[in-house]
Amino acid sequence: MRVSYENKLGSIIFLMVSCLLIVFPLVYEDRNLLIIFTQIFIFAIFAMSYDILLGFTGIISFGHAMFFGIGAYSMSIFMKRFEPEMLYVFLALIVGVFLSAIVSYVVGLLTLRLKTHYYAMLTLALANLFYVGAEKWRSLTEGADGFTFRIPDFLRERVNFYLITLVLMVLVYFALKLFIQSPFGKVLVAIKENEQRTESLGFNILYYKIIASIIAGILASIAGALYAISLRFVNTSVFSIDITLDALLMTIIGGVGTIIGAVIGSGVIEFSHYWLTSLVKLHWIFERWIIFFGILYILTVMFFPKGIVGALTALKRKARHEKKHDQSDKMTG
Amino acid sequence: MELFFSLLINGLATGMLIFLLAVGLTLIFGLMSVLNFAHGGLFAWGAYGGVWIYSLTESYMIGVAGAIITGVILGFITEKLIIKPVYGDHVQQILITLGYMLVLGELIKVVFGPNQIAVSPPELLRGSIEIGELLIIKYRAFIIITGIFIFLIVNYILKNTKIGLIVRAGVIDKEMIQALGVNINKVFLYVFMTGAALAALSGMLLAPYAGVIHADMGMEYAILAFVVVVIGGMGNVTGSLLAAALVGISGAFMAYYVPELSLATNMLLMVIVLVFRPKGLFTIRG
Repeated sequence: MRVSYENKLGSIIFLMVSCLLIVFPLVYEDRNLLIIFTQIFIFAIFAMSYDILLGFTGIISFGHAMFFGIGAYSMSIFMKRFEPEMLYVFLALIVGVFLSAIVSYVVGLLTLRLKTHYYAMLTLALANLFYVGAEKWRSLTEGADGFTFRIPDFLRERVNFYLITLVLMVLVYFALKLFIQSPFGKVLVAIKENEQRTESLGFNILYYKIIASIIAGILASIAGALYAISLRFVNTSVFSIDITLDALLMTIIGGVGTIIGAVIGSGVIEFSHYWLTSLVKLHWIFERWIIFFGILYILTVMFFPKGIVGALTALKRKARHEKKHDQSDKMTG
Repeated sequence: MELFFSLLINGLATGMLIFLLAVGLTLIFGLMSVLNFAHGGLFAWGAYGGVWIYSLTESYMIGVAGAIITGVILGFITEKLIIKPVYGDHVQQILITLGYMLVLGELIKVVFGPNQIAVSPPELLRGSIEIGELLIIKYRAFIIITGIFIFLIVNYILKNTKIGLIVRAGVIDKEMIQALGVNINKVFLYVFMTGAALAALSGMLLAPYAGVIHADMGMEYAILAFVVVVIGGMGNVTGSLLAAALVGISGAFMAYYVPELSLATNMLLMVIVLVFRPKGLFTIRG
């Protein structure tokens, strides 16, 4: 019961903060901050999609950038080849989602039978294949130089795009919450907890894992498409291991297996990224800001495997426990 | 025919570099089921450490020694600080070594600067030798010879010494070895350090071969090494040698004839092996 209470609390806080964020651009005009928030929302979607795999199904994928890149490239190529109109934005989104679904289905079918090590290794290699492929297929992608493109006027308006990404993030959050609490989601958690037992209870593990990875792939592709729109530029870096690492950092530091943790992680990472790069004037080491995150990440994996959210919950639980103790002491005393 | 041999030698040289990386990976995995995603980082550190000493002393051999020492020290630190705290938890191990890879790459940029560094082979190994019609680039021959030499040493240690016996037995049945009173953690530390040293050596050998080194060079080779380890079978050194030669040579030929598909073929090979023979093509019998 306590878990579901905390769960609800997280969702309520999330909803309240989101409502505040909706009015934020109306009362406070700061272009930079608006852009940072948009980035946070986009990466929150991406990190939440990753949390479905890592936090709920127990799949470690090192190739999540694949789907992000597919989404980003389908959006960019549509915008470049066709007119920058909303119709094509939707078409590009659908194509990206469709492609990601197919790729994640095929990849999942081939690889999800494997053990964790092999799966992580294979997804890393496959993502690298996409990266190299994008570099080689210059006629379509223009390689590492990338290309810029125009987007519909409606999306050019920063505030509009900010609101769209915010609403999408909120929708994805609640959709995933519902998904996780559904019977299907419960099976996923069971697979994470004990794969053999779930299998011996008669569940087809592969089927559940593939569906989970398709959902994660689709969401990642949407995040990639939004990312491309926000930059109005794309190059091969959307397929790079750094993108997967971003998702890893965000979910792990925020808190694995909580959904809200992915959102918090995205906020923490993007904000501190912005803050640390602004410190470059003080010392050149801040140009290598990622090193701090790497160390933080290692320490988190080692000492707080449940991240910020996990640490907070533990703290709260401890506080409540002590309070109870105090009360019972008083009663007996 | 000339082209054939030149591609063959080219591929073999690359194969040997991959093999040196794969030896460490395969033994570390075989012994402790730790898949070290940071192996590419050790490789890059070896290259930078070695090249730095090479440029200071202007002696290539001291540079190579420097690379090996870098590898040994880093291997020690890595095992103690990164691998040991998460023994037994596969998920944490995988996550932590990938994060460590990131840190190693960024640290290179902090210490040596983010720019590429150009490296040329030493005087003695520049140019090429002519055998009949065949033109062999000296440095490539040097890499191949070094690779085979290292393979022979590793093989000798594994087959003829007590520690080699323990390692081989540990790969087959870890619990049994512990039950017989061997401190497997200590053995694992040695294996890890050796693996790191060989990875560093591989990086140093690659440096003059590729002409430049950069901080992100590790990932590309680490992925090839993963391919090799999978094809060769986890824990199998001879299998790794054969697989490395296969991957190197097929890579060289594909890069010449169908450059678009060179990486894809190796990947495809790995996928096929993983799907149909997850234990690798060359399995060890206990």
